[in-house]
Amino acid sequence: MAESTVLQFSPFQSHVEEGFWKRLSSLKLNTLGLDETPVKITGFYGPCSHAQVSSHLYLLDESLPANLAEESSSSEMVLGNRNRCPIPGTLYNTNTLESFRGLDKQSLIRKEAKKIWEEICSGRVEAACAVLSRFLVISYADLKKWTFHYWFAFPALVLNPSALVSKLQPASEWFNLEEGKSLSEACNEWRKSSLTAAVPFFLVIITADSHVTLRPLKDWETCQRDGHKLLFGFYDPCHLPSNPGWPLRNFLAFICSRCKIEKIQFLCYRERHGLADLTHSLVGEALVSISQEWKNPQFIPEAVGWERNGSKLAPRRIDLATSMDPIRLAMSAA
Amino acid sequence: MVLSQKLHEVYKGAMERFTPPRTVSAFKEKGVLSVDEFVLAGDNLVAKCPTWSWEAGDSSKRKPFLPANKQFLITRNVPCLRRASAIEEEYEAAGGEVLLDNDDDDGWLATHGKPKEKEAKADEEILPSLDALEISNRKTIQSISSHFGGEEEEDIPDMAEYEDFEGVTDPATLPTTYMVACEPDEDAILRTRTYDVSITYDKYYQTPRVWLTGYDESRRVLDLKSVMDDVSQDHARKTVTPGNHPHMSGDHVTVHPCQHAAVMKKIIDVLMSRGVEPEVDK
Repeated sequence: MAESTVLQFSPFQSHVEEGFWKRLSSLKLNTLGLDETPVKITGFYGPCSHAQVSSHLYLLDESLPANLAEESSSSEMVLGNRNRCPIPGTLYNTNTLESFRGLDKQSLIRKEAKKIWEEICSGRVEAACAVLSRFLVISYADLKKWTFHYWFAFPALVLNPSALVSKLQPASEWFNLEEGKSLSEACNEWRKSSLTAAVPFFLVIITADSHVTLRPLKDWETCQRDGHKLLFGFYDPCHLPSNPGWPLRNFLAFICSRCKIEKIQFLCYRERHGLADLTHSLVGEALVSISQEWKNPQFIPEAVGWERNGSKLAPRRIDLATSMDPIRLAMSAA
Repeated sequence: MVLSQKLHEVYKGAMERFTPPRTVSAFKEKGVLSVDEFVLAGDNLVAKCPTWSWEAGDSSKRKPFLPANKQFLITRNVPCLRRASAIEEEYEAAGGEVLLDNDDDDGWLATHGKPKEKEAKADEEILPSLDALEISNRKTIQSISSHFGGEEEEDIPDMAEYEDFEGVTDPATLPTTYMVACEPDEDAILRTRTYDVSITYDKYYQTPRVWLTGYDESRRVLDLKSVMDDVSQDHARKTVTPGNHPHMSGDHVTVHPCQHAAVMKKIIDVLMSRGVEPEVDK
């Protein structure tokens, strides 16, 4: 077996469409006013579908409720599809640049991490696994200049010590031919059904006769008892052949603390032309050791995950004056 | 946008409001699509090419003649991978390029080479049109630097303030330098340009309409000029023009639909002359 090294995860990347900022602006002008209460938003991502580029976590106009009164009743409106799995997020929009800068980022990310940790412990993850990829955005919308300052965080619970990886290889090499064929079929079936297409974490069961089935996370106990080969699969937004993507981090935390497995075989599920691509997908074996403190119910793991802007830990800024400023719009139309 | 173009938009908008949507098929006679045929063809595209999906879009911009959850089709994050020459060679090898009309100045090419008959789709949009994927050899990436603001702007918080408040201690985060190392030269960076491609139904022309939004390698929106550089010169500014997307915000370019029906008609005629019965969902 190859020497074990620290498993490194490729960070999630954000992408915000203009429609999101437009809706935030009208929400701020018409409903929110100076209210700085955090707003529930929905991000979307799907498995990597091209060998050259990673997928992003998107914010679209539908990521925000059209008006806040609708928020509770219209939750079924943000239904995902296979190309956009809905992920819950929190938006902290401040009124001034000073308060944007002054936000205590460390405590905000810890707060989100605490939610994730509690959802792992309470078993909520098994029913709604997307909460494992919870994210948060801080923003300042300057509606006089139509510029938006924002910063994403994708909180990841830090395993201490770090997970080690002993093997990481293309799924096509890890599975035998028959298993591979069966796995592709099972994955395509999972991705086709409207019930499971937007469910980004799943179990992969391989029976002795090379038959592969996918199961939802809530079946992990039964699956463990049955004694079949068990892999933990997730929609991997990352395209790199050398590293798994960010969602695996909290998934590993879930698996080791909830399922008490220390030798975890995982499947980074990736696609090509919308179908399972096993030469692009990866299978690896992660070795985790559950530290004593994780067993303490009061303990909350450390979290990392503020998005970098280039190589720096810094916010981003987008200027939409050309498409939003009514004066400029009138000028260009004349 | 020029004034005449504006006027046309207004005229078209008014006509759309008063003309009932097409319900009777005239696909074979005129090359146009009825609303139902558009939905049928879209369903088929989504089924056969699942990177595409239907979107509902902004509820305030919804078209009442289309189902609420099937307003337009979109595929996001399509990498602009290869150079035009490479693509052309490949398509020629596949025997897919058919010159439809020699006399026409526009030199319309059926650029959607289809080595596999099964993949043929309703409206030549099975994959993002080749137009979208051609990269001009001469041009380099020009993103709108003003769009995202430079770091030197005074209201950008001092970077040093944020450095190292987390992170450096976490060995499990893949450093960004590593990712950059995967893209060894300028050429590779050029390849990572991506496009969001969407298809809407144009009620006035009674055809599908293709829209493009381009991004550079750091997900900044490409300005229209840069997008035009990716479109073959024969089409840029003639059939491919900037426009306002009916469902989405932001800068888009569109393949203008005024010639679409005529081109479809030609394709249909060719098919029929070979004894093939064209169907909207094929």
